[in-house]
Amino acid sequence: MNKKYDLVLVKTSQVQKPSTKAYDKGFNFDDARLMSGAWRNEPNPDMCKEFFRCLAICHTVLPEGDETPDKIRYQAASPDEAALVVAAKNFGFFFYRRTPTMVYVRESHAEKMGKVQDVTYEILNVLEFNSTRKRQSVVCRYKDGRLVLYCKGADSVVYERLGSGNDEIKKITRVHMEQYGEAGLRTLCLAYKDLSPDMYESWNEKFMQAKSCLRDREKKLDEVAELMETDLNLIGCTAIEDKLQDGVPACIETLFKAGLKIWVLTGDKLETAINIAYACKLINNDMKQFIISSETDEIREVENRGDQVEIAQFIKEKVKTELQKYQKEAQTILSGSSGQKLAFLIDGKCLMYALDPSLRSMLLSFCLNCSAVVCCRVSPLQKAQVTRLVRKGANKITLSIGDGANDVGMIQAANIGVGISGMEGMQAVMASDFAIAQFRFLTDLLLVHGRWSYLRLCKVVSYFFYKNLTFTLTQFWYTFQTGYSGQRFYDDWCQSLYNVIFTALPVVIVGLLDKDVSVALSKKYPQLYKEGIQNTFFNWKVVGILALFSLYQSIVVYNFAVASSTSGLTSTGKMLGHWDVSTMAFTCLVITVNLRLLMMCSTVTRWHVISIGGSVLLWFLFIFIYAIVFVNKGTFFTIYVLMSTIYFYLMVILVPICALLCDFIYQGFQRWLFPNDYQIVQEVHRHESDAVGVGLLDIGHQLSPEDEIRYAFAMLPKENSKHTGFAFDSPGYESFFASQQGVVAPQKAWDVVRRASMKPKDKKPQNSQH
Amino acid sequence: MDQKNKNSKKPVYSKFSQQELPAWKPILTPGWVIASYITIGALFIPIGLLAWTASDSVVEIVDRYDEACVPDDFSKNPQSYIQNPNIKKTCTRSIKVPKKLVAPIFVYYQLENFYQNHRRFVKSRSDKQLRDVKAENDTKFCLPVAYDYDNKPIVPCGLIAWSLFNDTYKISTRGKDISIEKKGIAWKSDAKAKFGSNVYPKNFQKDGLIGGATLDESIPLSEQEDLMVWMRTAALPTFRKLYGKINTDIEAHDTIKVEIQNNYNTYKFGGRKKLVLSTTTWIGGKNDFVGMAYISVGGICLFMAINFILLYVFRPRRLGDPSYLSWNRHPIT
Repeated sequence: MNKKYDLVLVKTSQVQKPSTKAYDKGFNFDDARLMSGAWRNEPNPDMCKEFFRCLAICHTVLPEGDETPDKIRYQAASPDEAALVVAAKNFGFFFYRRTPTMVYVRESHAEKMGKVQDVTYEILNVLEFNSTRKRQSVVCRYKDGRLVLYCKGADSVVYERLGSGNDEIKKITRVHMEQYGEAGLRTLCLAYKDLSPDMYESWNEKFMQAKSCLRDREKKLDEVAELMETDLNLIGCTAIEDKLQDGVPACIETLFKAGLKIWVLTGDKLETAINIAYACKLINNDMKQFIISSETDEIREVENRGDQVEIAQFIKEKVKTELQKYQKEAQTILSGSSGQKLAFLIDGKCLMYALDPSLRSMLLSFCLNCSAVVCCRVSPLQKAQVTRLVRKGANKITLSIGDGANDVGMIQAANIGVGISGMEGMQAVMASDFAIAQFRFLTDLLLVHGRWSYLRLCKVVSYFFYKNLTFTLTQFWYTFQTGYSGQRFYDDWCQSLYNVIFTALPVVIVGLLDKDVSVALSKKYPQLYKEGIQNTFFNWKVVGILALFSLYQSIVVYNFAVASSTSGLTSTGKMLGHWDVSTMAFTCLVITVNLRLLMMCSTVTRWHVISIGGSVLLWFLFIFIYAIVFVNKGTFFTIYVLMSTIYFYLMVILVPICALLCDFIYQGFQRWLFPNDYQIVQEVHRHESDAVGVGLLDIGHQLSPEDEIRYAFAMLPKENSKHTGFAFDSPGYESFFASQQGVVAPQKAWDVVRRASMKPKDKKPQNSQH
Repeated sequence: MDQKNKNSKKPVYSKFSQQELPAWKPILTPGWVIASYITIGALFIPIGLLAWTASDSVVEIVDRYDEACVPDDFSKNPQSYIQNPNIKKTCTRSIKVPKKLVAPIFVYYQLENFYQNHRRFVKSRSDKQLRDVKAENDTKFCLPVAYDYDNKPIVPCGLIAWSLFNDTYKISTRGKDISIEKKGIAWKSDAKAKFGSNVYPKNFQKDGLIGGATLDESIPLSEQEDLMVWMRTAALPTFRKLYGKINTDIEAHDTIKVEIQNNYNTYKFGGRKKLVLSTTTWIGGKNDFVGMAYISVGGICLFMAINFILLYVFRPRRLGDPSYLSWNRHPIT
């Protein structure tokens, strides 16, 4: 019977899906029994009316823009709030204007279909949301003088305050909420209460007193509100889906395979976080879960006593003993052969104590043993602290990804910050190193572009190292032959242009275009990413081997060239001078070094060929011109002298091949006996050509919104957890924790009255995000 | 692009920017490895053999004379001998010819332990002055041999020219003098561009320490081939310079008499002087290095080809065997 009071709203937090029907942003609900006024024909339309009115009135949303259903935009402290108001609008309760004391709603609920009526409600009091109250109420007066308190809040708090009777509706709603909670939806209970004027007046006096109190105002306001929010009548519940973006579970699974450790830092509460972790496949039933939560009876008991010092000590002690216990357990599991993976969940309050310097290292070492770590109910500051702990404490490379303003801290604390641009504003993007539009693009960012980038950087850096070492060593060997006088082997222009022209472009091309495996294969074999984590391509061994080859090559290039100067080299018996020899050595060197790059490439495009061939050609072009322009130089005419000898051509073929022979032998053995993963993957797919166009991200999608919902439900875990999420668990309300850490809480976005009076006349939003 | 996408920020598609350029993906498969080795081996060994035979057919006679040309009385102190202008420096060497020398025969002098490539030595010259009569004052780098005692510029200035080699050889066999042609021993480019045809030696080896040979002041630098040869500085401290050319054959088992004017002082720094007679072929003088290098590299390649064949036979692995992937070898626990 109460089914229709429950409302599933899909909060599409990032991507606006193209669909056949025009949906409002954040509204993705379709039920023929409720839509377009059909609810009037249901058995209990009055209750529906209250339900929708509650949605339209009991909130702290500010409307913006034209007062028409199409153009209006709602500004809210959390997207959840706005979603509920949008929902009310779609059911015919269009909230379009707010003044400090009034709420204007255009209602089309009247007896006749299509009749529209502007109704004003006087807002007498707003009992604000905070994270201890977990509810929000509004006292309003109808035009006809009716006084009503509308309340919405977490099921646990609202149920405690319900009046007796109506057990059936309570029971059904409870069942529904559990279902929604299992599905990972965030639920709210809606309730109302009719007030008598006398009762209200006497209460309002107390409220005003509390409001003007200078000490403990918040606490007193809470107490006064408590008096009013009793004997409520339940009218239903809402459920909001904080929709996981497309492909998040797949993305996380892929990243997990790629050898990344994934930690979830969320402002959501424990149960929601667990559900999301399940949905993301971060946690599964095979895992051993360790949970440290402050929501235990023991802690609550101590908290109720109210002694801050005692609470702190108690929780700290508790966290410490649990950590120790878990660590032991973890050790036995890890040393056992079961291969069971560990998951660790901790909430913000406990984390605050676990991050204490005395416990920090224990926390870190324990967490590093776990394959999944979830920190819930954490403040932005704690997110940053945890990130810093891993980065500094474990000396790991950290990447933070987030979309909200509350993620800025951790994005900045991490080595790599990734911001998701979307509904939650641009702060995360502005603070980040990389901005992407959807979470799932992280796969591409890391596995494709990140990996390529690593590979290319390794190649470019080691190649720069190599080519200069080879070059310099040839010069170095010459020093021994000149009585250590420091005479240059090469002409100074050749020497200067070596890095600038003759060996510059090919390495840039490799840095731009080289890829060991294609986009598709990078994602198909996420494990390839591990080569980067283990730093396979740039370590002392790699550099050492390269340096050895460099040494060998320089010896070959130098000695082979110099060996030519011992006897006459033409049939006319003439001898070569120093500059002839050095020009020949330089020619061999340029060819060798450029060919060596070709041997490092996994792919050879026409740009590789052009740049490598071009570099060698440029050298010849340069020396052809240079050797006739500067008569005063030692290099005058050298290349022409050289080219008149057969010896020169023989050397130009011999030296590069001989110099690169060692590399070639090494590569042959390495590939056959100790192949790298990417080499095996190359071999597996050696006959496939890269499909053109697959590199582009597939942004479009085919599912209709209905299918999406069904799919999302299907993707949710089939666990039976008896929890219900709670719609105001959104990060916007987290300043509470920050204030505990001594950070000044930002101005409260839901301080509606003040904001409404400050509301600028023009349409520009002044504080879209706090 | 259609109208709708006018404001789209999607980058313009190109194969380059999307990294989809058609690419050759070389993989060092056994086939490629073995084929490369065999190809290199098959090409290099014949080339090497050719070069080596050519070099082998060259006849080269080397005779060290610096010690032998010092009279016995002075063997303890060759310096006092070489620096004494009153002692006759003529010295006669007889050299057996092991094989027939076919004209043209090239006469070289070879100096050892002479650092013509020393930095200070190399830069002590003025190319401008050598080329251009007007630049005779351009002696910036020539110090300490830039000006004579009257402060007039020396042409050619600098240490290189100053130390010009001044031993001379006269060759005779069977009592007949063999003329040594001194023309055409320098590279043409030097004569044409680097040494001016209107630049005459001036104030050269006039006073102070005499370094080496003097130059005929009536002959322009562009015709002073000994100077040109000498001034094309050598890369190594052991070097040969062309002295001249003999245009008649010398039969095998003949004895050549060489009358050497032993003027050049290498005793001071322990340098050695050698006289070299050599024929040439297409590859130049005696130069086993190229041939040997080619043969060795080719040999190594063939050897490696065999090695790799053995490797592929005895340590086979299927190309692209997924079981070699690290995560398949050590499954994640």
